[in-house]
Amino acid sequence: MIAEYASRLIQIIPFFLKGLLMTVVVSGISLVLSTALGFILGILRTGRSRLVSRSIGLYVDVMRGTPFVVQIFIVFFILPEWGLQLDALPAAILALTAMTSAFICEVVAGGIRAVPKGQWEAAAASGLNKFQQLKLVILPQAMRTILPPLVGQYVLMIKDSSVVSVIGVTELTRVGWQTVVRIPEGLMVFTLVGVLYFVICYPLIRLSNSLEQRLSQESVRL
Amino acid sequence: MIEFKNVNKWFGKLHVLRDINLEVPAGEVLVICGPSGSGKSTLIRCINRLEKFQKGELYVDGQPLHDHSINLTKLRADIGFVFQQFHLYPHMTALQNVTLAPINVRKMNRDEAEELGRRMLARVGLSDKADAYPAQLSGGQQQRVAIARGLAMSPKIMLFDEPTSALDPEMIGEVLDVMIQLAEEGMTMCVVTHEMGFARQVAHRVIFMDEGQLVETGKPDAFFDNPETERAAQFISKILTH
Amino acid sequence: MITNFNFRVVWEYMPLFMQGLRNTFLISLVSLILALAVGIIACGCRLSRWKLLRGLAIAYIESIRSTPLLVQIYFFYFGLPTLGLRVPELETGIIALMLNSGAYIAEIVRAGITSVSSGQIEAGISSGLSYFQRMRFIILPQALGVTVPPLLGQAIVLVKDSALLSLISVMELTRCGQELTSERFMPAEGFLTVAVLYLCIYYCLKPLAGWAQKKLIFREAY
Repeated sequence: MIAEYASRLIQIIPFFLKGLLMTVVVSGISLVLSTALGFILGILRTGRSRLVSRSIGLYVDVMRGTPFVVQIFIVFFILPEWGLQLDALPAAILALTAMTSAFICEVVAGGIRAVPKGQWEAAAASGLNKFQQLKLVILPQAMRTILPPLVGQYVLMIKDSSVVSVIGVTELTRVGWQTVVRIPEGLMVFTLVGVLYFVICYPLIRLSNSLEQRLSQESVRL
Repeated sequence: MIEFKNVNKWFGKLHVLRDINLEVPAGEVLVICGPSGSGKSTLIRCINRLEKFQKGELYVDGQPLHDHSINLTKLRADIGFVFQQFHLYPHMTALQNVTLAPINVRKMNRDEAEELGRRMLARVGLSDKADAYPAQLSGGQQQRVAIARGLAMSPKIMLFDEPTSALDPEMIGEVLDVMIQLAEEGMTMCVVTHEMGFARQVAHRVIFMDEGQLVETGKPDAFFDNPETERAAQFISKILTH
Repeated sequence: MITNFNFRVVWEYMPLFMQGLRNTFLISLVSLILALAVGIIACGCRLSRWKLLRGLAIAYIESIRSTPLLVQIYFFYFGLPTLGLRVPELETGIIALMLNSGAYIAEIVRAGITSVSSGQIEAGISSGLSYFQRMRFIILPQALGVTVPPLLGQAIVLVKDSALLSLISVMELTRCGQELTSERFMPAEGFLTVAVLYLCIYYCLKPLAGWAQKKLIFREAY
């Protein structure tokens, strides 16, 4: 029984590693894009323009208020009707980036708002321009509050990337699904899938926790 | 150097500055006092446009501040500002606090800026604290770093917004000493403060504000000993008994 | 591009959407109540003095948090039959949602309890209150203030998470969108309607969470 299990495991493992690689690629690309977009949106969200800030707020609400699986259906099935035909992989990256950037936007905006107003004033008073104030004085301090939840958002995104299996991206979850149709060992197959996700996500969760502890201790000392 | 002409400012409906007319020539040390909420902080915050005003004209070093097209960063670079709550950058050392603007605004190279920074820290008596973070410094030391930060831009004017009122009593002296020394070197200074000793020793002029108006102007000794207006007299008796 | 949106079809399917909305609501509510129970038990174990209990609770919480919900759903959907258990899709889905949210709720409750300062507990001890009295009068009322806002946040997440049950053919809101799409080949009418309905739920819950935040946070002043 156990030997049979082991041999089956060894047979299917290469497929799973390929799936894992795809999960890492999809998440990695989306991570870079959504971080860049999220920071830009977050900075604009705290900016002086009411209109810009409100529009971004609406975007964030839409992304937060609807399930990711619905979002990915919209990107994959509806955008083509409007003339934007995407393959599964770019569609997955677009959907993941759109959603995660909204969450990161709120994290970044929260971090910026947590910096006392006097810091902006002091920086302005010594003649730094808006961009320098942000880059040299505000963001370095805001990063303290931003970093732990930012890593948390990455974990959420990696987990949400499992949903892109529904439009046919052969990442980890999709591989599990394909396997279970052929080998009816649901428990084993999805335990294995789960373990592979765990291997990526758990260290990141620990990182987020320890960052939070370290940074909050530092701020107590300061 | 600084000239207010009929400056008016409102916060919503609240009229915080009413027809301010005031001229501060180069080299003058001006002390501004008055009860809290009288508009004195708002007044000096207008000088580097941390606050906007709605009506009137304000010239600083020949530049019209009521004109919104002027180069604000350039203007602010030439004015030092010291806050009540210091507002040092907590993520930088004392030296980095002082050199930040010279490097990024004056485009000095790092060595030059650090040399300048150390000189400024020495000037406020903190040569040995260059590598300390704000959290490791006492309130008085932090405020002196903040003064050095302002001086590093070789400003034409230094503005002080209640620089000693957030400090423990035993630390007030060390900050005032630095300010007195600055005044004696001929710096143009506007100081919001209730420190009478400082005013009597170095101020050329004291102005008294109440409810957004400039109520009284005078030489420090005359003002504190024989105020002309009832409101000023009341205020002085309060800070004396205090 | 939105001009050819067929409102007539949406209207025709409205009864189906309403049924889906109702099911989504019921599934979320039932899962939330069950998850609260699971979460409180898991939190109790997590804070227990017995190492074994604590270890089990940590293993449960961390493995849930480090793996995607979709994988957990598939784990039960494909796994329970291999154990010879025939569980209908709806119940399978609710089990997965309950265990998933339970882990997050355990952490929320724990954060609430540990947020009560040790000074408060010492004050209780020194006025002679028993363990249960301290829990009842001092710790729980204060912990509640910190716990309710994130619990409402978790409720929002749960509503969105329930959308994944559509993938194991539970007739909830998202499934209705899929139904319309496959019967009439109208993905825009299907999924945009679904998205709007989810947004309606979100905009009902969001002010509630904000209100609770304001109403209950006063306890931090002490």
